[in-house]
Amino acid sequence: MKAFVYVNPTSEKDAVAALKTDGVAMPLGGGQDLLARMKDYVTQPDRIVNIKNALDTTITAAPDGGLKIGAAVKIVDLAANAQVRRLYPALLDAAGLVGTPQIRNQGTVGGNLNQRPRCWYFRNEEFVCFKKGGSRCFAVDGENQYHAIFGNEGPSHIVHPSSLAVPAVAYGARFRVVGPSGEREIAAAEYFTLPTLQNVLKENVLADDELLTHVILPPPGNVKTGHYEVRYKQSRDWPLAFTTVVLGMNGNTIRSARVVLGAVAPVPWRSEDAERALVGKPLNAETAAAAGEAAVKAAKPLSGNAYKIQITKAAVKRAVMRAAGLQTV
Amino acid sequence: MLYGKIVRSPLAHARIVSIDTSEAEKAPGFKAVVVHKQPGTEVLFQGDEVVGIAADTEERSYDIARLVRVRYEALPHFANVEQAMAPNAPRVFAMGNTRDGNREETGDLEAGFKQAAHVVEQTYSTHVITHACLETHGTVCEWDGEKLTAWVSTQGVHASAQQYADGLKIPQANVRVITQYMGGGFGSKTNVGAEGLICARLAQQAKAPVKLMLDRKEEHLAVGNRPSATAHIRAGVSADGKLVAFDGQSWGTGGAGATSNFPLPYIYNFPNRRRTHKDVYINAGLQRAMRAPGHPQGCFLTEILMDELADRVRMDPVAFRVKNLPDKPPAQTWEDWREYFAIGAKAFGWDKRHQTGDAQSGPIKTGMGCATHRWGGGGRGSRAHVDITSDGGVVLKCGTQDLGTGTRTIVTMGVAETLGLPVTAVKAEIGDTLYPFSGASGGSTTAAGVMPAVRMTTGKALDALFAKVGPALSVDPNTLVATNGRIQVQGNPAKGMAWKDACKLIGTEPISVDGEWVDGLSGNGTSGVQFTECDVDIETGVVKIRRILTVQDCGMVVDKLLAESQVYGGIIGSLNFALFEDRILDRNTAQMVNPNMEWYLMAGMSDVPKIDIILVDSPAQRARGVIGIGEPPTVSTSAAIANAVRNATGATVRSLPLHPHKILQAIEQEKAGGTQ
Repeated sequence: MKAFVYVNPTSEKDAVAALKTDGVAMPLGGGQDLLARMKDYVTQPDRIVNIKNALDTTITAAPDGGLKIGAAVKIVDLAANAQVRRLYPALLDAAGLVGTPQIRNQGTVGGNLNQRPRCWYFRNEEFVCFKKGGSRCFAVDGENQYHAIFGNEGPSHIVHPSSLAVPAVAYGARFRVVGPSGEREIAAAEYFTLPTLQNVLKENVLADDELLTHVILPPPGNVKTGHYEVRYKQSRDWPLAFTTVVLGMNGNTIRSARVVLGAVAPVPWRSEDAERALVGKPLNAETAAAAGEAAVKAAKPLSGNAYKIQITKAAVKRAVMRAAGLQTV
Repeated sequence: MLYGKIVRSPLAHARIVSIDTSEAEKAPGFKAVVVHKQPGTEVLFQGDEVVGIAADTEERSYDIARLVRVRYEALPHFANVEQAMAPNAPRVFAMGNTRDGNREETGDLEAGFKQAAHVVEQTYSTHVITHACLETHGTVCEWDGEKLTAWVSTQGVHASAQQYADGLKIPQANVRVITQYMGGGFGSKTNVGAEGLICARLAQQAKAPVKLMLDRKEEHLAVGNRPSATAHIRAGVSADGKLVAFDGQSWGTGGAGATSNFPLPYIYNFPNRRRTHKDVYINAGLQRAMRAPGHPQGCFLTEILMDELADRVRMDPVAFRVKNLPDKPPAQTWEDWREYFAIGAKAFGWDKRHQTGDAQSGPIKTGMGCATHRWGGGGRGSRAHVDITSDGGVVLKCGTQDLGTGTRTIVTMGVAETLGLPVTAVKAEIGDTLYPFSGASGGSTTAAGVMPAVRMTTGKALDALFAKVGPALSVDPNTLVATNGRIQVQGNPAKGMAWKDACKLIGTEPISVDGEWVDGLSGNGTSGVQFTECDVDIETGVVKIRRILTVQDCGMVVDKLLAESQVYGGIIGSLNFALFEDRILDRNTAQMVNPNMEWYLMAGMSDVPKIDIILVDSPAQRARGVIGIGEPPTVSTSAAIANAVRNATGATVRSLPLHPHKILQAIEQEKAGGTQ
């Protein structure tokens, strides 16, 4: 691991200031992602800025009936929060499924949202891919069983690694960001970026000298929600595909729908096809199955991951069934 | 102490053009450098060792290793057997890209197929997995003048000493190897390897002890794996369910120049059979023996076929297997083995197994499968030394080693039981070449090798004590026994004395005896049957094992807890082989994409089901003596799981691992007209 300077600011302002350096500075949350990348010589910052003493570690009720979640909140605390349980159960489910107890105890909300891809080409230094400044994506004609089936226009074919990003987008969250010139709010759906040759080194719009400080969730309204993750291994494994659905209800009729897919695209992937299949329909098993079918209509798998289409279909169907309070299997 | 680090080839196949260590040597903390492969030579796989360096801290050893500049000229490589076997493949290996193995033929194949009412013709395969020892390979080496002491994570201290002597061209008498405890080997740690020799050379050059432990990535790349196995098989069964013919062409890869053979067909009696095997070389780390070498592959390839054949003749898989066990037993337990199927089936509730394909509605399908296995085991040649001192102290010295299997515990128990003492009264010293020779721990040979030596040597020491106690009690020493912490006349506790008092008779010169393994106290040949039940989610392809049951023999059980521990470990290892572990090489570069514990999947707590062990502990088994149990339980679980998946889904997956993509694909094929 390359030697680095460790900075431990205690305010937002100092943390932002600490990111300003001639070399490369990076914020450190729980460290599950950053430190492992440094040990593998994938990322070599000159300065590490610990944000755990600088950013908000609380979950507070917003005046409008929503919630404001600090970026330094530990995932374990998010997964046990009574207000999150009451208002945003899908977010609670997603938090409870992150990694392992150790990872949830160490990891932060901000770190989870901003973590880099788990793509094995990105994570091994031998492969100088687009995301490391190279000129190819090794997954295209390589080992792509865990790569994207949506948003595959390239140049990179990663899947976004964050479990919390998916319910955040589904609930219409906004992210508060601070930087040298002040603060701004960005809709979660706008925060994550599909890769282009210009932005491929990142997965979101956060500038190098900015910090994500809060996740701001609007009041959920009269919704039913469901979250479903498919894992191959039941202990410590990344999901093969997962989904959050948020359904605005009018009696038993679905008035509005948000269906967001995870682990299938370079960003949390909103499936408007599935949403259309839900709106105006009664919330039942038949509608759930139709939503699953619709969700994968536009999938464009790579050479070795078409199986993820079926898994995604099942995840969407089961998330809707959960929203309906039905048995999933 | 200094820290060693190895510079390895990032490329799968290349010629070393030049090596420049000047920048590394100028770095702060640099202590020594050893060029392992000279410019002009070839590296044959990613992770092949090129240079070793030593630094003052572990962190600096990593950074300094990266300052060594090695220039390579890339050469053509193979990332998989398909590339190596392609008709127009370039010649990558000097000895040829493939090597034909032996051809085995018995009976009359043509006549056999004429008797067949049904013929199954399919291709079956297993993949490469690595040993993934929790403790990686590594060594601490320290020189004192001409003498080397090496603390090695090894399965064989005496074997390691010989390898150091050979590799460093020094007298074997100048090498001492110590392994007090180690964290798993599974066959990959029977050779000190390049890493061991590089460590010794670095220590010699730096004139300081050097510690060199591999990291997880190096562990996956360079220090062993289980070869892949593929077979194209044509097999025939008669209308009444007798196997009549087997024609198999198999191949596999053990990496860049190693073998890949395995037994095929496994266990069952095909009176007319032919089998050929071909080693295929690819640019990947070389295979090393891995827990029951060859057997898990042969077992999987055969046992899936067995269920396919059983379905053709509409026979229950257990009845079909029992009907086709060979006439001649591989070991004296043969009759028991048939019984194991019955015992296991009853305990497991096999009668509740439905026919192929769970007819229940809903996405979760449940199924049962079974498979069987055998292993040789046995061991010989171990020696031991026992001291009994006048203060009542007992010390056993034996140059065996404890891989984490509990060897230290069982040898202690052997001494204690022989002397009628509690285990706390005995000190066992093992894992050091200063102690009498014992072989490397491989092939389930340790228990059967050391226990007779321990028993005989301790008995000899006890006889020496009896010779002193007899006159003191005015009795014939031959009438004495050691029991409950006393030396006494058999059946007459009053005529005796406490152990401590007896030992006082020893005087200043301790009882100090050497002994060795003798025939008659150990045996070989083990067998077992395994049953599994699993759930398959046919909408996601995810398999969840519900339970596993095994009937397993191992001769005389020395310690039930440790024997069962071996079975648990073996079964969980095989579950990993079936579902999770997979060394994945990038098909274009032959570089491993999952050299870690993140994408190299291994079962966690939630993935391990209830495991029931019926350890056969009958008088007949006890009479066979001690036999090892490390290998056998890891052979057949994966085949039993695959058969359970088949029974659940009605679709046959003929290759491991049983990843969701294969299961979903097989289910699709089944819907579209069948995988049979």
